[in-house]
Amino acid sequence: MKKILNDPAVYVDEMLDGMIAAHPDVYAQPIPRVITRAGGATPGKVGIVTGGGSGHLPVFTGYVGKGLLDAAAIGDVFASPSAEQMADSMRQAHGGTGILRLYGNYGGDVMNFDMAGETVELEDDITSTTVLLADDVVSAPPEEAEKRRGVAGMVYAFKIAGAKAEEMADLDAVTEIAQRTADACRSIGMALTPCTVPQAGKPTFDLGPDEMEMGMGIHGEPGIWRDTLKPADAITDEMMDRLLADRPLGSGDRCSILVNSLGATPPEELFIMYRRAKARLEADGVSIVMPLVGRYATSMEMTGATVTLVKLDGEMERLLKAPCHCAFWTVV
Amino acid sequence: MTGFSSAHLKSAAAKLAAASEAAADELNTQDGKLGDGDLGITVSKGWREVANTDLPADLGKAFLEASKAFQRVSSSSFGTLIATALMSAAKATKGNESAEWNMVGGLLAGAREAMMARGKGELGQKSVLDMIDALAGATDGIDDPKALLAAVDKAIDETLDAFRDKPNLLGRARMFGEKSVGLDDPGMLAVRRMFDGLKEPI
Repeated sequence: MKKILNDPAVYVDEMLDGMIAAHPDVYAQPIPRVITRAGGATPGKVGIVTGGGSGHLPVFTGYVGKGLLDAAAIGDVFASPSAEQMADSMRQAHGGTGILRLYGNYGGDVMNFDMAGETVELEDDITSTTVLLADDVVSAPPEEAEKRRGVAGMVYAFKIAGAKAEEMADLDAVTEIAQRTADACRSIGMALTPCTVPQAGKPTFDLGPDEMEMGMGIHGEPGIWRDTLKPADAITDEMMDRLLADRPLGSGDRCSILVNSLGATPPEELFIMYRRAKARLEADGVSIVMPLVGRYATSMEMTGATVTLVKLDGEMERLLKAPCHCAFWTVV
Repeated sequence: MTGFSSAHLKSAAAKLAAASEAAADELNTQDGKLGDGDLGITVSKGWREVANTDLPADLGKAFLEASKAFQRVSSSSFGTLIATALMSAAKATKGNESAEWNMVGGLLAGAREAMMARGKGELGQKSVLDMIDALAGATDGIDDPKALLAAVDKAIDETLDAFRDKPNLLGRARMFGEKSVGLDDPGMLAVRRMFDGLKEPI
Protein backbone atom coordinates (compact mmCIF):
# COMPACT_ATOMS: atom_id res chain seq x y z
CA MET A 1 0.00 0.00 0.00
CA LYS A 2 1.41 3.34 -1.08
CA LYS A 3 -0.54 6.11 0.64
CA ILE A 4 0.20 9.31 2.49
CA LEU A 5 -0.93 8.45 5.99
CA ASN A 6 0.30 8.04 9.56
CA ASP A 7 -1.78 5.14 10.83
CA PRO A 8 -4.71 3.45 9.04
CA ALA A 9 -6.62 3.42 12.34
CA VAL A 10 -6.77 7.24 12.47
CA TYR A 11 -6.97 7.88 8.72
CA VAL A 12 -10.54 9.21 8.81
CA ASP A 13 -10.15 11.25 11.99
CA GLU A 14 -6.97 12.96 10.79
CA MET A 15 -8.62 13.63 7.41
CA LEU A 16 -11.58 15.29 9.15
CA ASP A 17 -9.29 17.34 11.40
CA GLY A 18 -7.46 18.62 8.33
CA MET A 19 -10.60 19.37 6.34
CA ILE A 20 -12.04 21.44 9.19
CA ALA A 21 -8.72 23.16 9.84
CA ALA A 22 -8.56 24.15 6.17
CA HIS A 23 -12.17 25.36 6.04
CA PRO A 24 -13.19 26.57 9.52
CA ASP A 25 -15.65 29.00 7.93
CA VAL A 26 -17.59 26.07 6.44
CA TYR A 27 -17.30 23.02 8.72
CA ALA A 28 -17.34 22.09 12.40
CA GLN A 29 -17.11 18.75 14.20
CA PRO A 30 -19.01 19.16 17.48
CA ILE A 31 -19.01 15.40 18.07
CA PRO A 32 -16.44 12.94 16.65
CA ARG A 33 -17.48 11.81 13.15
CA VAL A 34 -20.38 14.29 13.00
CA ILE A 35 -19.69 17.19 10.64
CA THR A 36 -21.96 20.24 10.74
CA ARG A 37 -22.03 23.70 9.24
CA ALA A 38 -19.62 26.03 11.06
CA GLY A 39 -22.56 27.96 12.51
CA GLY A 40 -24.57 24.86 13.50
CA ALA A 41 -28.29 24.38 12.84
CA THR A 42 -30.37 27.19 11.33
CA PRO A 43 -33.43 27.92 13.52
CA GLY A 44 -36.69 27.32 11.67
CA LYS A 45 -35.04 25.62 8.69
CA VAL A 46 -35.54 21.96 7.81
CA GLY A 47 -32.26 20.16 8.48
CA ILE A 48 -30.84 17.84 5.82
CA VAL A 49 -28.47 15.14 7.01
CA THR A 50 -26.60 12.47 5.16
CA GLY A 51 -24.12 9.80 6.07
CA GLY A 52 -22.09 6.87 4.91
CA GLY A 53 -18.57 5.59 4.73
CA SER A 54 -15.49 7.74 4.20
CA GLY A 55 -13.48 7.54 1.01
CA HIS A 56 -15.87 9.38 -1.32
CA LEU A 57 -15.00 13.06 -0.87
CA PRO A 58 -16.63 15.44 -1.51
CA VAL A 59 -19.43 12.95 -0.67
CA PHE A 60 -20.58 12.96 2.15
CA THR A 61 -19.09 15.47 4.57
CA GLY A 62 -17.84 17.82 1.87
CA TYR A 63 -21.36 18.83 0.88
CA VAL A 64 -22.21 20.25 4.29
CA GLY A 65 -22.64 23.97 3.68
CA LYS A 66 -25.08 26.77 2.94
CA GLY A 67 -27.63 25.79 0.31
CA LEU A 68 -26.62 22.13 0.67
CA LEU A 69 -26.52 19.87 3.76
CA ASP A 70 -26.68 20.68 7.46
CA ALA A 71 -24.82 17.68 8.87
CA ALA A 72 -23.21 14.38 7.95
CA ALA A 73 -22.31 11.28 9.96
CA ILE A 74 -19.20 9.62 8.63
CA GLY A 75 -17.91 6.09 9.13
CA ASP A 76 -14.57 4.45 8.45
CA VAL A 77 -13.54 4.11 4.82
CA PHE A 78 -16.39 2.33 2.99
CA ALA A 79 -18.07 1.45 6.34
CA SER A 80 -21.35 2.71 7.74
CA PRO A 81 -21.32 5.17 10.62
CA SER A 82 -23.04 3.96 13.78
CA ALA A 83 -26.71 4.65 14.40
CA GLU A 84 -25.64 6.76 17.36
CA GLN A 85 -23.47 8.99 15.15
CA MET A 86 -26.39 9.30 12.73
CA ALA A 87 -28.74 10.23 15.60
CA ASP A 88 -26.23 12.84 16.78
CA SER A 89 -26.01 14.30 13.27
CA MET A 90 -29.81 14.68 13.28
CA ARG A 91 -29.78 16.39 16.68
CA GLN A 92 -27.04 18.77 15.52
CA ALA A 93 -28.92 19.64 12.31
CA HIS A 94 -32.30 20.18 13.96
CA GLY A 95 -33.56 23.73 13.67
CA GLY A 96 -36.96 22.87 15.10
CA THR A 97 -38.84 21.99 11.89
CA GLY A 98 -37.77 18.42 11.21
CA ILE A 99 -35.03 16.51 9.45
CA LEU A 100 -34.68 14.95 6.01
CA ARG A 101 -32.32 11.96 5.92
CA LEU A 102 -30.92 11.95 2.39
CA TYR A 103 -28.37 9.28 1.50
CA GLY A 104 -27.46 6.33 -0.68
CA ASN A 105 -29.23 2.97 -0.72
CA TYR A 106 -26.80 0.67 1.11
CA GLY A 107 -28.11 -1.96 3.54
CA GLY A 108 -26.03 -1.03 6.58
CA ASP A 109 -26.63 2.70 6.16
CA VAL A 110 -30.39 2.19 5.78
CA MET A 111 -30.68 0.02 8.91
CA ASN A 112 -28.63 2.40 11.00
CA PHE A 113 -30.31 5.57 9.76
CA ASP A 114 -33.78 4.08 10.36
CA MET A 115 -32.64 3.16 13.84
CA ALA A 116 -31.31 6.68 14.38
CA GLY A 117 -34.62 8.15 13.19
CA GLU A 118 -36.54 6.11 15.76
CA THR A 119 -34.11 7.09 18.48
CA VAL A 120 -34.42 10.85 17.97
CA GLU A 121 -38.18 10.61 17.58
CA LEU A 122 -38.50 8.74 20.86
CA GLU A 123 -35.91 10.72 22.77
CA ASP A 124 -35.87 14.22 21.28
CA ASP A 125 -39.30 14.43 19.60
CA ILE A 126 -37.64 15.13 16.25
CA THR A 127 -39.73 14.35 13.17
CA SER A 128 -37.77 13.00 10.23
CA THR A 129 -38.27 11.65 6.73
CA THR A 130 -36.09 9.58 4.42
CA VAL A 131 -35.18 9.83 0.75
CA LEU A 132 -32.79 7.23 -0.63
CA LEU A 133 -30.69 7.64 -3.76
CA ALA A 134 -30.85 4.50 -5.89
CA ASP A 135 -29.50 5.82 -9.19
CA ASP A 136 -26.97 3.18 -10.34
CA VAL A 137 -28.79 1.61 -13.30
CA VAL A 138 -26.65 -1.52 -13.55
CA SER A 139 -27.05 -2.56 -9.91
CA ALA A 140 -30.59 -3.89 -10.45
CA PRO A 141 -33.09 -4.05 -13.34
CA PRO A 142 -35.83 -1.40 -13.65
CA GLU A 143 -38.47 -3.69 -12.12
CA GLU A 144 -36.31 -3.86 -8.99
CA ALA A 145 -35.21 -0.23 -9.07
CA GLU A 146 -35.67 0.08 -5.30
CA LYS A 147 -32.71 -2.29 -4.85
CA ARG A 148 -30.31 -0.09 -6.81
CA ARG A 149 -27.28 1.44 -5.13
CA GLY A 150 -26.92 5.17 -4.65
CA VAL A 151 -23.97 6.83 -6.38
CA ALA A 152 -23.19 10.29 -7.79
CA GLY A 153 -26.85 11.23 -8.31
CA MET A 154 -26.94 12.20 -4.65
CA VAL A 155 -24.95 15.33 -5.53
CA TYR A 156 -27.99 16.67 -7.42
CA ALA A 157 -30.32 15.67 -4.58
CA PHE A 158 -28.11 17.46 -2.03
CA LYS A 159 -28.06 20.58 -4.19
CA ILE A 160 -31.75 20.76 -5.12
CA ALA A 161 -33.20 19.72 -1.74
CA GLY A 162 -30.62 21.92 0.00
CA ALA A 163 -31.75 24.96 -1.97
CA LYS A 164 -35.39 24.21 -1.20
CA ALA A 165 -34.67 23.96 2.53
CA GLU A 166 -32.71 27.22 2.37
CA GLU A 167 -35.94 28.89 1.14
CA MET A 168 -37.46 27.81 4.50
CA ALA A 169 -39.81 25.31 2.85
CA ASP A 170 -41.41 22.82 5.23
CA LEU A 171 -40.34 19.21 5.70
CA ASP A 172 -42.96 17.79 3.35
CA ALA A 173 -41.90 20.13 0.54
CA VAL A 174 -38.17 19.47 1.03
CA THR A 175 -38.80 15.73 1.13
CA GLU A 176 -40.94 15.87 -2.01
CA ILE A 177 -38.36 17.74 -4.10
CA ALA A 178 -35.59 15.45 -2.84
CA GLN A 179 -37.62 12.39 -3.88
CA ARG A 180 -38.48 13.98 -7.22
CA THR A 181 -34.77 14.58 -7.84
CA ALA A 182 -33.80 11.09 -6.73
CA ASP A 183 -36.41 9.65 -9.08
CA ALA A 184 -35.08 11.74 -11.98
CA CYS A 185 -31.42 10.66 -11.59
CA ARG A 186 -29.74 7.84 -13.45
CA SER A 187 -26.03 6.98 -13.12
CA ILE A 188 -23.53 4.46 -14.40
CA GLY A 189 -19.86 3.90 -13.65
CA MET A 190 -16.81 2.28 -15.17
CA ALA A 191 -13.41 1.53 -13.67
CA LEU A 192 -9.84 1.12 -14.90
CA THR A 193 -7.95 0.49 -11.65
CA PRO A 194 -9.02 -0.27 -8.08
CA CYS A 195 -8.45 1.65 -4.87
CA THR A 196 -7.04 0.48 -1.55
CA VAL A 197 -8.92 0.84 1.74
CA PRO A 198 -6.26 1.90 4.28
CA GLN A 199 -7.33 -0.54 6.98
CA ALA A 200 -7.45 -3.43 4.49
CA GLY A 201 -4.12 -2.54 2.89
CA LYS A 202 -4.81 -4.24 -0.44
CA PRO A 203 -6.76 -3.29 -3.60
CA THR A 204 -10.53 -3.77 -3.53
CA PHE A 205 -10.43 -5.81 -6.78
CA ASP A 206 -8.06 -7.00 -9.50
CA LEU A 207 -8.23 -5.74 -13.05
CA GLY A 208 -5.69 -6.57 -15.77
CA PRO A 209 -3.34 -3.79 -16.97
CA ASP A 210 -5.22 -3.34 -20.27
CA GLU A 211 -8.72 -4.06 -18.93
CA MET A 212 -11.71 -1.98 -17.94
CA GLU A 213 -14.96 -2.93 -16.22
CA MET A 214 -18.26 -1.39 -17.28
CA GLY A 215 -20.86 -0.81 -14.57
CA MET A 216 -18.61 -1.32 -11.58
CA GLY A 217 -19.87 0.10 -8.27
CA ILE A 218 -18.01 2.66 -6.20
CA HIS A 219 -16.82 0.05 -3.71
CA GLY A 220 -15.73 -2.38 -6.41
CA GLU A 221 -19.11 -4.11 -6.72
CA PRO A 222 -19.17 -6.22 -9.90
CA GLY A 223 -20.31 -4.55 -13.13
CA ILE A 224 -21.73 -5.83 -16.43
CA TRP A 225 -18.67 -6.77 -18.43
CA ARG A 226 -14.90 -6.75 -18.25
CA ASP A 227 -12.82 -6.48 -21.41
CA THR A 228 -9.92 -4.65 -23.02
CA LEU A 229 -10.00 -0.88 -22.65
CA LYS A 230 -12.17 0.84 -25.29
CA PRO A 231 -11.74 4.35 -26.80
CA ALA A 232 -13.32 7.22 -24.84
CA ASP A 233 -16.14 7.76 -27.34
CA ALA A 234 -17.12 4.08 -27.29
CA ILE A 235 -17.12 4.05 -23.49
CA THR A 236 -19.18 7.24 -23.32
CA ASP A 237 -21.62 6.00 -25.97
CA GLU A 238 -22.30 2.80 -24.07
CA MET A 239 -22.78 4.65 -20.80
CA MET A 240 -25.19 7.11 -22.44
CA ASP A 241 -27.04 4.27 -24.19
CA ARG A 242 -27.62 2.48 -20.91
CA LEU A 243 -28.71 5.62 -19.08
CA LEU A 244 -31.10 6.70 -21.83
CA ALA A 245 -32.54 3.21 -22.20
CA ASP A 246 -33.45 3.34 -18.51
CA ARG A 247 -34.77 6.92 -18.54
CA PRO A 248 -35.36 8.22 -22.06
CA LEU A 249 -34.82 11.91 -22.83
CA GLY A 250 -36.13 13.54 -25.99
CA SER A 251 -36.52 16.74 -27.92
CA GLY A 252 -37.43 19.65 -25.65
CA ASP A 253 -36.29 17.95 -22.44
CA ARG A 254 -33.89 19.75 -20.13
CA CYS A 255 -31.31 17.90 -18.09
CA SER A 256 -28.09 18.33 -16.19
CA ILE A 257 -25.20 15.93 -16.62
CA LEU A 258 -22.41 15.07 -14.21
CA VAL A 259 -19.24 13.50 -15.63
CA ASN A 260 -17.49 12.51 -12.44
CA SER A 261 -14.00 11.22 -11.67
CA LEU A 262 -13.83 8.28 -9.28
CA GLY A 263 -10.63 9.78 -7.91
CA ALA A 264 -7.60 9.30 -10.11
CA THR A 265 -9.04 10.01 -13.55
CA PRO A 266 -7.95 13.55 -14.51
CA PRO A 267 -10.24 16.37 -15.71
CA GLU A 268 -8.70 16.08 -19.17
CA GLU A 269 -10.24 12.65 -19.68
CA LEU A 270 -13.55 13.74 -18.16
CA PHE A 271 -13.75 16.57 -20.70
CA ILE A 272 -13.11 14.09 -23.53
CA MET A 273 -16.10 12.13 -22.25
CA TYR A 274 -18.25 15.22 -21.71
CA ARG A 275 -17.67 16.41 -25.27
CA ARG A 276 -19.11 13.15 -26.59
CA ALA A 277 -22.00 13.03 -24.14
CA LYS A 278 -22.99 16.61 -24.98
CA ALA A 279 -23.01 15.91 -28.70
CA ARG A 280 -25.17 12.88 -28.08
CA LEU A 281 -27.76 14.76 -26.00
CA GLU A 282 -27.87 17.71 -28.38
CA ALA A 283 -28.38 15.39 -31.34
CA ASP A 284 -31.51 14.17 -29.55
CA GLY A 285 -32.70 17.75 -29.00
CA VAL A 286 -32.02 17.70 -25.24
CA SER A 287 -30.89 20.95 -23.61
CA ILE A 288 -28.10 20.72 -21.03
CA VAL A 289 -28.34 22.88 -17.91
CA MET A 290 -25.32 23.57 -15.68
CA PRO A 291 -23.12 20.62 -16.63
CA LEU A 292 -20.79 19.35 -13.90
CA VAL A 293 -17.40 17.89 -14.82
CA GLY A 294 -14.90 16.98 -12.12
CA ARG A 295 -14.47 15.15 -8.81
CA TYR A 296 -17.91 15.19 -7.16
CA ALA A 297 -18.21 11.62 -5.78
CA THR A 298 -15.04 9.58 -5.60
CA SER A 299 -13.81 6.20 -4.52
CA MET A 300 -10.39 6.99 -3.05
CA GLU A 301 -7.79 6.71 -5.83
CA MET A 302 -9.87 4.51 -8.15
CA THR A 303 -9.37 5.29 -11.82
CA GLY A 304 -12.62 5.53 -13.69
CA ALA A 305 -15.66 7.71 -14.15
CA THR A 306 -19.38 7.88 -13.60
CA VAL A 307 -21.97 9.66 -15.72
CA THR A 308 -25.21 10.92 -14.16
CA LEU A 309 -28.20 12.37 -15.99
CA VAL A 310 -30.98 14.19 -14.18
CA LYS A 311 -34.08 15.29 -16.05
CA LEU A 312 -35.11 18.71 -14.76
CA ASP A 313 -38.46 20.43 -14.41
CA GLY A 314 -38.72 24.18 -13.89
CA GLU A 315 -38.50 24.09 -10.10
CA MET A 316 -35.59 21.65 -10.04
CA GLU A 317 -33.68 23.78 -12.55
CA ARG A 318 -34.25 26.94 -10.50
CA LEU A 319 -33.05 25.20 -7.31
CA LEU A 320 -30.03 23.67 -9.06
CA LYS A 321 -28.95 27.17 -10.07
CA ALA A 322 -29.56 28.68 -6.60
CA PRO A 323 -26.54 29.83 -4.57
CA CYS A 324 -24.62 27.35 -2.43
CA HIS A 325 -21.24 27.18 -0.78
CA CYS A 326 -19.06 24.41 0.61
CA ALA A 327 -15.35 23.78 0.31
CA PHE A 328 -15.80 21.77 -2.87
CA TRP A 329 -18.60 23.53 -4.74
CA THR A 330 -19.80 27.10 -4.88
CA VAL A 331 -22.66 28.44 -6.97
CA VAL A 332 -23.11 32.23 -6.90
CA MET B 1 -43.62 -6.05 42.87
CA THR B 2 -44.41 -8.67 40.29
CA GLY B 3 -42.95 -8.75 36.83
CA PHE B 4 -39.65 -7.36 35.63
CA SER B 5 -37.99 -3.99 35.97
CA SER B 6 -34.99 -1.98 34.90
CA ALA B 7 -32.93 -3.80 37.56
CA HIS B 8 -33.83 -7.14 35.96
CA LEU B 9 -32.74 -5.81 32.56
CA LYS B 10 -29.40 -4.70 33.96
CA SER B 11 -28.85 -8.02 35.68
CA ALA B 12 -29.79 -9.93 32.53
CA ALA B 13 -27.42 -7.80 30.42
CA ALA B 14 -24.48 -8.71 32.67
CA LYS B 15 -25.30 -12.41 32.34
CA LEU B 16 -25.82 -12.17 28.59
CA ALA B 17 -22.49 -10.34 28.30
CA ALA B 18 -20.63 -12.99 30.26
CA ALA B 19 -22.19 -15.81 28.24
CA SER B 20 -21.50 -14.01 24.94
CA GLU B 21 -17.88 -13.38 25.90
CA ALA B 22 -17.43 -17.05 26.79
CA ALA B 23 -18.82 -18.05 23.37
CA ALA B 24 -17.24 -15.24 21.33
CA ASP B 25 -14.59 -17.36 19.63
CA GLU B 26 -17.10 -20.08 18.73
CA LEU B 27 -19.56 -17.53 17.33
CA ASN B 28 -16.84 -15.76 15.33
CA THR B 29 -15.79 -19.08 13.83
CA GLN B 30 -19.34 -20.14 12.97
CA ASP B 31 -20.08 -16.71 11.52
CA GLY B 32 -16.88 -16.88 9.49
CA LYS B 33 -18.28 -19.91 7.65
CA LEU B 34 -21.25 -17.90 6.34
CA GLY B 35 -20.43 -14.23 6.95
CA ASP B 36 -17.73 -11.84 8.02
CA GLY B 37 -16.78 -13.59 11.25
CA ASP B 38 -17.49 -10.82 13.74
CA LEU B 39 -20.66 -12.08 15.41
CA GLY B 40 -19.00 -13.07 18.68
CA ILE B 41 -17.39 -9.64 18.93
CA THR B 42 -20.71 -7.95 18.12
CA VAL B 43 -22.76 -9.63 20.82
CA SER B 44 -20.11 -9.61 23.52
CA LYS B 45 -19.23 -5.94 23.01
CA GLY B 46 -22.89 -4.99 22.76
CA TRP B 47 -24.12 -6.69 25.92
CA ARG B 48 -21.05 -5.59 27.89
CA GLU B 49 -21.78 -1.98 26.93
CA VAL B 50 -25.39 -2.42 28.07
CA ALA B 51 -24.24 -3.99 31.33
CA ASN B 52 -21.89 -1.05 31.94
CA THR B 53 -24.59 1.56 31.23
CA ASP B 54 -26.68 3.23 33.94
CA LEU B 55 -30.28 2.26 33.24
CA PRO B 56 -33.08 4.57 34.49
CA ALA B 57 -35.95 3.23 36.59
CA ASP B 58 -38.53 3.80 33.83
CA LEU B 59 -38.51 0.48 31.99
CA GLY B 60 -39.13 2.07 28.58
CA LYS B 61 -36.24 4.48 29.06
CA ALA B 62 -34.09 1.61 30.31
CA PHE B 63 -34.74 -0.38 27.14
CA LEU B 64 -34.00 2.78 25.11
CA GLU B 65 -30.67 3.29 26.89
CA ALA B 66 -29.88 -0.38 26.34
CA SER B 67 -30.66 -0.01 22.64
CA LYS B 68 -28.46 3.05 22.36
CA ALA B 69 -25.63 1.32 24.22
CA PHE B 70 -25.76 -1.58 21.79
CA GLN B 71 -25.77 0.83 18.81
CA ARG B 72 -22.83 2.70 20.27
CA VAL B 73 -20.42 -0.19 19.97
CA SER B 74 -21.79 -2.09 17.00
CA SER B 75 -22.89 -0.81 13.59
CA SER B 76 -23.01 -4.34 12.14
CA SER B 77 -26.34 -5.68 10.89
CA PHE B 78 -26.81 -8.13 13.76
CA GLY B 79 -25.99 -5.47 16.34
CA THR B 80 -28.51 -3.12 14.76
CA LEU B 81 -31.16 -5.88 14.84
CA ILE B 82 -30.64 -6.43 18.57
CA ALA B 83 -30.79 -2.67 19.11
CA THR B 84 -34.00 -2.67 17.08
CA ALA B 85 -35.52 -5.34 19.33
CA LEU B 86 -34.59 -3.33 22.42
CA MET B 87 -36.05 -0.18 20.86
CA SER B 88 -39.30 -2.03 20.17
CA ALA B 89 -39.47 -3.04 23.83
CA ALA B 90 -38.75 0.57 24.82
CA LYS B 91 -41.79 1.78 22.93
CA ALA B 92 -44.01 -0.95 24.37
CA THR B 93 -43.03 -0.29 28.00
CA LYS B 94 -42.65 3.50 27.89
CA GLY B 95 -43.86 5.16 31.09
CA ASN B 96 -43.89 1.98 33.21
CA GLU B 97 -41.46 1.02 35.96
CA SER B 98 -42.20 -2.67 35.52
CA ALA B 99 -43.95 -5.10 33.22
CA GLU B 100 -45.70 -8.36 33.95
CA TRP B 101 -43.80 -11.50 33.02
CA ASN B 102 -46.70 -12.50 30.77
CA MET B 103 -45.79 -9.52 28.56
CA VAL B 104 -42.54 -11.21 27.46
CA GLY B 105 -44.23 -13.07 24.63
CA GLY B 106 -45.79 -9.87 23.34
CA LEU B 107 -42.51 -7.98 23.58
CA LEU B 108 -40.80 -10.72 21.57
CA ALA B 109 -43.57 -10.63 18.97
CA GLY B 110 -43.15 -6.85 18.72
CA ALA B 111 -39.39 -7.26 18.40
CA ARG B 112 -39.91 -9.82 15.63
CA GLU B 113 -42.05 -7.37 13.64
CA ALA B 114 -39.59 -4.50 14.12
CA MET B 115 -36.61 -6.68 13.19
CA MET B 116 -38.37 -7.99 10.07
CA ALA B 117 -39.12 -4.43 8.97
CA ARG B 118 -35.59 -3.21 9.69
CA GLY B 119 -33.76 -6.16 8.15
CA LYS B 120 -36.20 -6.53 5.22
CA GLY B 121 -36.42 -10.21 6.10
CA GLU B 122 -39.19 -12.78 6.19
CA LEU B 123 -39.86 -15.84 8.30
CA GLY B 124 -38.66 -19.18 6.99
CA GLN B 125 -35.38 -17.81 5.62
CA LYS B 126 -33.28 -19.42 8.39
CA SER B 127 -32.29 -16.35 10.31
CA VAL B 128 -32.53 -14.95 13.82
CA LEU B 129 -36.04 -13.81 12.86
CA ASP B 130 -37.23 -17.43 12.90
CA MET B 131 -35.70 -17.84 16.33
CA ILE B 132 -37.42 -14.76 17.76
CA ASP B 133 -40.68 -15.90 16.17
CA ALA B 134 -40.37 -19.29 17.87
CA LEU B 135 -39.58 -17.68 21.22
CA ALA B 136 -42.54 -15.32 20.92
CA GLY B 137 -44.83 -18.30 20.32
CA ALA B 138 -43.31 -20.40 23.10
CA THR B 139 -43.56 -17.67 25.74
CA ASP B 140 -46.99 -16.32 24.86
CA GLY B 141 -49.04 -15.83 28.03
CA ILE B 142 -46.59 -17.46 30.45
CA ASP B 143 -46.35 -15.43 33.66
CA ASP B 144 -43.83 -17.42 35.72
CA PRO B 145 -40.10 -16.63 35.24
CA LYS B 146 -38.96 -20.24 35.65
CA ALA B 147 -41.55 -21.51 33.21
CA LEU B 148 -40.55 -18.78 30.79
CA LEU B 149 -36.90 -19.81 30.87
CA ALA B 150 -37.81 -23.46 30.38
CA ALA B 151 -40.01 -22.58 27.40
CA VAL B 152 -37.26 -20.45 25.86
CA ASP B 153 -34.64 -23.14 26.38
CA LYS B 154 -36.79 -25.79 24.68
CA ALA B 155 -37.84 -23.51 21.80
CA ILE B 156 -34.25 -22.53 21.03
CA ASP B 157 -33.12 -26.13 20.62
CA GLU B 158 -36.19 -27.09 18.61
CA THR B 159 -35.69 -24.15 16.25
CA LEU B 160 -32.01 -24.91 15.70
CA ASP B 161 -32.94 -28.50 14.90
CA ALA B 162 -35.77 -27.47 12.58
CA PHE B 163 -33.63 -25.18 10.44
CA ARG B 164 -30.18 -26.80 10.51
CA ASP B 165 -30.69 -28.76 7.30
CA LYS B 166 -32.25 -25.90 5.35
CA PRO B 167 -30.32 -23.34 3.29
CA ASN B 168 -29.88 -19.74 4.46
CA LEU B 169 -31.99 -17.38 2.35
CA LEU B 170 -31.31 -14.01 4.00
CA GLY B 171 -28.36 -11.66 4.37
CA ARG B 172 -24.81 -12.43 3.44
CA ALA B 173 -25.28 -16.10 4.37
CA ARG B 174 -27.69 -16.56 1.44
CA MET B 175 -24.71 -16.22 -0.93
CA PHE B 176 -23.54 -19.59 0.33
CA GLY B 177 -26.79 -21.29 -0.70
CA GLU B 178 -26.61 -25.06 -0.39
CA LYS B 179 -23.28 -24.85 1.46
CA SER B 180 -25.22 -23.51 4.44
CA VAL B 181 -27.23 -26.75 4.66
CA GLY B 182 -26.20 -28.66 7.77
CA LEU B 183 -24.81 -25.58 9.51
CA ASP B 184 -26.58 -23.74 12.31
CA ASP B 185 -27.48 -20.17 11.35
CA PRO B 186 -24.92 -18.05 13.25
CA GLY B 187 -27.58 -15.61 14.49
CA MET B 188 -29.72 -18.44 15.85
CA LEU B 189 -26.67 -19.97 17.48
CA ALA B 190 -25.86 -16.60 19.07
CA VAL B 191 -29.30 -16.65 20.72
CA ARG B 192 -28.54 -20.12 22.08
CA ARG B 193 -25.22 -19.02 23.53
CA MET B 194 -26.59 -15.76 24.94
CA PHE B 195 -29.39 -17.55 26.74
CA ASP B 196 -26.95 -20.08 28.15
CA GLY B 197 -26.25 -17.22 30.58
CA LEU B 198 -29.88 -17.16 31.76
CA LYS B 199 -30.31 -20.64 33.18
CA GLU B 200 -31.70 -19.23 36.44
CA PRO B 201 -34.34 -16.52 36.87
CA ILE B 202 -32.82 -13.03 36.93
